[in-house]
Amino acid sequence: MSQSHADTIPVRVVAVEEVTPQIKHFTLQSLAGELPAFSGGSHIIVVMRGAQRVYRNPYSLMSSPNELENYQISVLRVDPSRGGSAFMHEQVRVGTELEIAHPVNLFGLAKLARKHLLLAGGIGITPFLAQLHDLRMSEVPYELHYATRSPQHGAYCQLISRLEPQRSRLYHDSNRHFIDIDGLLSQQPLGTHVYVCGPAGMITRVLDSARTLGWPDSHVHYERFAAPPTGAAFDVRLQKSGIDLHVLPDQSLLEAIEAAGVDAPYLCRGGVCGFCRAEVLSVDGELVHNDHFLSNDEKASGKSIMPCVSRARCSTLVLNL
Amino acid sequence: MNVALKMDQVYRGEYTFANSPAAIRRFPLPFPEDRYMYSVNIEPHVAGPKGSVIEFPIDCDEHYVEECRERAIVIQQDPLRIQALPHMMSAQWDTLELGMQSLSQSYPDQFTLTRAGRHWHWINRPLGLNQHFTFGDPASLPQPPLEYITRQLQGDWVIMDQRDNDLWVEGGMVTGPADWSMDFDMGMSFKEWHGPVPLGHEMGVFDRALKFLLNLRLNEPVRRYNWTMTVNPNLDSSPHNYPEWGPDRTSVTLENVARKLHLRTELQGLWRLPRSNGIVFMVRTYMLSVGDVASIPKWARRVHRVLRDLHPALVDYKGLTRHRPIAVAYLSQFDDGSPTTPGIAPE
Amino acid sequence: MLITGIRSKPVYAPLQVDLQGRYHLMVGHGVGATPLLRLLSDFRTTQPDALTRTRVWYVADAQVSQGSADALRATNIAELRSFTGVDVLLADLTAALDQALMGTRLYVSGPESFMGLVMRIAQQFNLAPDEVRAEECGTMARRVHCIHCRATIENVRTNIVECSCGRWIVVRDHYSRRLAAYMGVMVDAEAPGERPEIKEVFL
Repeated sequence: MSQSHADTIPVRVVAVEEVTPQIKHFTLQSLAGELPAFSGGSHIIVVMRGAQRVYRNPYSLMSSPNELENYQISVLRVDPSRGGSAFMHEQVRVGTELEIAHPVNLFGLAKLARKHLLLAGGIGITPFLAQLHDLRMSEVPYELHYATRSPQHGAYCQLISRLEPQRSRLYHDSNRHFIDIDGLLSQQPLGTHVYVCGPAGMITRVLDSARTLGWPDSHVHYERFAAPPTGAAFDVRLQKSGIDLHVLPDQSLLEAIEAAGVDAPYLCRGGVCGFCRAEVLSVDGELVHNDHFLSNDEKASGKSIMPCVSRARCSTLVLNL
Repeated sequence: MNVALKMDQVYRGEYTFANSPAAIRRFPLPFPEDRYMYSVNIEPHVAGPKGSVIEFPIDCDEHYVEECRERAIVIQQDPLRIQALPHMMSAQWDTLELGMQSLSQSYPDQFTLTRAGRHWHWINRPLGLNQHFTFGDPASLPQPPLEYITRQLQGDWVIMDQRDNDLWVEGGMVTGPADWSMDFDMGMSFKEWHGPVPLGHEMGVFDRALKFLLNLRLNEPVRRYNWTMTVNPNLDSSPHNYPEWGPDRTSVTLENVARKLHLRTELQGLWRLPRSNGIVFMVRTYMLSVGDVASIPKWARRVHRVLRDLHPALVDYKGLTRHRPIAVAYLSQFDDGSPTTPGIAPE
Repeated sequence: MLITGIRSKPVYAPLQVDLQGRYHLMVGHGVGATPLLRLLSDFRTTQPDALTRTRVWYVADAQVSQGSADALRATNIAELRSFTGVDVLLADLTAALDQALMGTRLYVSGPESFMGLVMRIAQQFNLAPDEVRAEECGTMARRVHCIHCRATIENVRTNIVECSCGRWIVVRDHYSRRLAAYMGVMVDAEAPGERPEIKEVFL
């Protein structure tokens, strides 16, 4: 069963706009036929070939699923950047050619929801922008609550106020105006689904509040795009391939495996979906689990690891790859 | 007899169904080796050998027109064979797009699709259809999108929603099932609708299959094969009309088994759908009479051995109890015990 | 064809308080009062203030003594409603769920056919499995859907039953939540007249 993502779509950047000092908006057009249709909430993996490294970062599609002349993504410049967001901000210009993978959706709207409650923080607004197009055409009620650091940092605040004056509310930390998560979650009709995309702290607050207020897990959806955590360098032996490799401090285990030419499976690259799960044969140290997929028992057993976000504090980690 | 009436007798009544020599050789034998047991057996649905049933993503064969006619008859008698729950409309359009793009690319002489934005123009020459419509607007088609396109496709089609780490059967066109009812199963989860299948659950087959399908990616469809046997080339062997085809199971004799009993292969295809993020499941059925099986020496030996040694639970579940001994007896005359080559190539 | 041992058959468990829930709606029929009384008693010991946000709706039936209804009345909870029939309860349940908030938990107890009808309404409101608890109590008699004529046969206690369409059908374990019924398939299609002995199996 092929695990490779050889089937990427070549694209050219046709527009770059600085939305805020930290956020750039890129418009991509296909160089090989049509762009595939997609569902709101989908992301694409953008393959960026730097001078020394290849970066593969996921970015939410923010454009309308019904307008397929181009794809649009927004990239927050992370400081310090492991390289991907810096590459996008510094090296990518109009005319730059990139490759993207087909869209994958791990953050779709629940089709049976009786109401959708969307909570966005900062760059987390992007998947919702695509979803708003589908929501506007459905009969199901929805609300968008969008928090940013300040009006100046808020990408797309004006766009949202204009598109959804009745169904959106904006909040700015600078005004000490915060989303009343407990208040919102305690007043929703049965059958409401809540969706949160934003900084890790915001996601944690929403998940905790939902649990305390009796929401079932199936009605709480979240999307994280944190970059894989950095850490000390370590060596890896891939037992099946017979390959030895070195993981740099700001390079994820998955990226190091890919750099060594091994076609490892992956899907979300964010430690959530479980697709990249690898079997640990031995480690002369300890595993550092940064994922949200393995259970506590599974993490403790030390038999599995998620290479996309997890690492090891050791000299050598041996994987069954 | 006029053409329409003749076409009504292919899969029912007089059962005039027959495979040409080319169709016999291209039949997808579901047994790559001399024994059979369940497995997940999923593989990428990529282009197979030229002329084979997997050369194209959606196969149209010599039975295309008569099978579409059969479908129309079934729906007319039982409209509940085509259904979709309200939230599955985007999955319906996804399936229509898949069908039209696939057919027009694979068989450009028979099917043409022209698009200008959302204005689509579809020509189906074998069925004499010429349709302008607006993609996304159900009122611009004579039937809802799933019904419209599946009336022009061979095989059964089921659309599934993905949520809560599961897949839910919530729409489909099922006029040629091997003993299952989409109407009854509507709304069931993956393991619920596979509930009646013996052994698979204990073997963990469905757990693995579900996990795999939940991660099915756009542009990377997969396929697997399933099989059973049918008395008479009766495509519509659904539980609903079991009172009509059930009695046929006792009508098989050594004298008539070669022409009456059919090996029935299901080529199952699964595609991730773009706008709905659901999955569409194609069950494309091919039938071959036992006599035609026997006309290919390797297949005669292979099928004899598979049937002879089949696990009793599978014999029961696949409804083979009454006629399996007769089929085995008939095919044994073609089995000299010599080895068969792996794979299904006719020899 | 598998008759028994099918995984679509619903599996029930004794009702337990869900302390994560904020509002509790308990619905019972006939002998289903017993698990509800037990549940209320559990709440009293673990989270007594939950009872101020608890409603109990109950339909007595001919078999059940007045004692159960009295016992429920004696529990002194925020709202106790007695219904004369299942249909009225189901209609009011639909209205109640339409107004309910996230954090609500639904507890159902009674014969399986009653629970199936309640679960079907719960599904309309997109209630998750975590939000509904069901304990079967009382008769195991089944609602059966004749797959041939699509009629529903209520209160089937036997392994095979004669449908209004004239066919004798065998009752399988294959269950549809949408129809709230088990599948019935003609038992003697292949050998007309050859039927198994009728036995009371769903008592």
